[in-house]
Amino acid sequence: MKKDSLIDKSYAWLDRHTGDSSRQLARSTSRRGFIGKLGAMLAGVAFLPLLPVSRPFAQETLGEIGDPQSCDYWRYCALSGTLCTCCGGTTTSCPPGAEISPITWVGTCRNPVDDMDYLISYNDCCGKSTCRRCSCHNTERELPVYYPSKSNSVLWCFGTEARNYHCTVAGVLGVAATDD
Amino acid sequence: MRVITLIALYLALWIPAANAQLQPDTIGQETMSAPAESWFISKTSAGAYIYDGLSGEMQGMLSLASNFTASVQPYGPRREFYAAESYYSRGVHGDRTDVVTIYDYENLSPVAEIEIPQKIAVLSMPGHLALTGNGRHLAVFNMTPAQSVSIVDVENRTFVGEISTPGCAVIMPIADNDFLMICGDGTIQLIQLDDSGNESNRVRSEQFFVVEEDAVFDLPVRTKDGWLLISHAGKAFDVSKEGTQLTVSEWSIVTEEDAEEKWLPGGWQLKSLHQELGLLYILMHQGEEYTHHEPGSEIWVVDIKQRRRIARIELEVPADNLVVTQESEPKLIVADTEDGLHVYDALQMKVERTIEDPGPSAAFLVDF
Repeated sequence: MKKDSLIDKSYAWLDRHTGDSSRQLARSTSRRGFIGKLGAMLAGVAFLPLLPVSRPFAQETLGEIGDPQSCDYWRYCALSGTLCTCCGGTTTSCPPGAEISPITWVGTCRNPVDDMDYLISYNDCCGKSTCRRCSCHNTERELPVYYPSKSNSVLWCFGTEARNYHCTVAGVLGVAATDD
Repeated sequence: MRVITLIALYLALWIPAANAQLQPDTIGQETMSAPAESWFISKTSAGAYIYDGLSGEMQGMLSLASNFTASVQPYGPRREFYAAESYYSRGVHGDRTDVVTIYDYENLSPVAEIEIPQKIAVLSMPGHLALTGNGRHLAVFNMTPAQSVSIVDVENRTFVGEISTPGCAVIMPIADNDFLMICGDGTIQLIQLDDSGNESNRVRSEQFFVVEEDAVFDLPVRTKDGWLLISHAGKAFDVSKEGTQLTVSEWSIVTEEDAEEKWLPGGWQLKSLHQELGLLYILMHQGEEYTHHEPGSEIWVVDIKQRRRIARIELEVPADNLVVTQESEPKLIVADTEDGLHVYDALQMKVERTIEDPGPSAAFLVDF
């Protein structure tokens, strides 16, 4: 595939899912807007403690292999978007000037080093033009938009000052609890 | 020397005289002709390109808010297009304004806009925008990530209100003034509107799928009397409504043999249905679980009345979007992964033409 068409294709993919949904609530003076914002913030804050994260993980250091600028990097198994590692950021921090979205979608990815499943938080970095580098679309355990917490087909620039999508980071939340 | 001078003099006098007979071009402006059923829209990051599938010629373009436009829908009876769009006052930042923009058929120009809450789920998907059966109310899907629907009266150009729809997405119009949604608990939700566009009733179906086990795609297709949903594993669910009673009938587009060969549906806009003929066109690939956005290496044609496959089309280049036109001799429009845009005879299953230089990749396709 020619580079130009690859970029166009990546851009089309982002277009398909360059979401940027709402949340311009901060400066809204309406009571309804304030309640909406408060509700979403509470939802976001309340979300983390409910995640099935195994406690022992907190004391361990994570061993990793792979290229964080590659779509095949293990943390990106359910990431759709452009990699912040290619855009001036890291796997866990946004590029300069981009604002991290506090509300995320979550994937479960297997670390090839220890063969264990980890919960990964995919946070979009927002408020700048879309970084059209290292565009990925991975769908491991990804679900449709009517199940939003596991859907990567939406841009997650929620709760940020500016909501244009820039890129995505992937933070490890912990070891995924097993069913048994 | 004298001869040359005479020739030069002759030419100097003669050429202007000849040019004087040539009328200069008049630079003007086209208006769009009446759309035919063979027309379709390729919605891209640069706007919506309108093509005639019969000739392959571009007819015009809608300048949409590119990445911030969820969907666009033509409506023939009023000769208008509707688009749900978000704009920022400073390009990618600044104050946000969400609007439903109405474009006319003649000039493809905005003729009205209705401001709606700044909540549009800007993911570009056809199912994020839908006009009710009576053509009066436009429903726009919101996500903040709280899920809701904004209702706009497009006849009177007014915003009616917002309906909270927690856990449900995708708008599927049914009957005159109602719509269905797919919900994360494995059900379908019916929302009924009154004449003014406010919610008058809401009904939930029984659970018929388990999202963590085998989710249905968030791209349902309209049938003659309801909607058809397909699961990631290839199960099919016919959804219909009688009064407020929702009925779901399950079957499968893959046989046991297909499943053994690991054939799965996949792509982005992976399926389309010719309502009168009852023919489903769906992109299929061989793969494992969670490859639901994998482009299709084949298109399967399924007769939904007989509930069996009647044809397979092998693709040279995998495709991720398709749409079938609704005319009696339908065209199947296929967007492949190398930006090719192809027009098939949807009954003969043969390529009729490939659109030259189709512009940016199609995010999705819309028929007229």
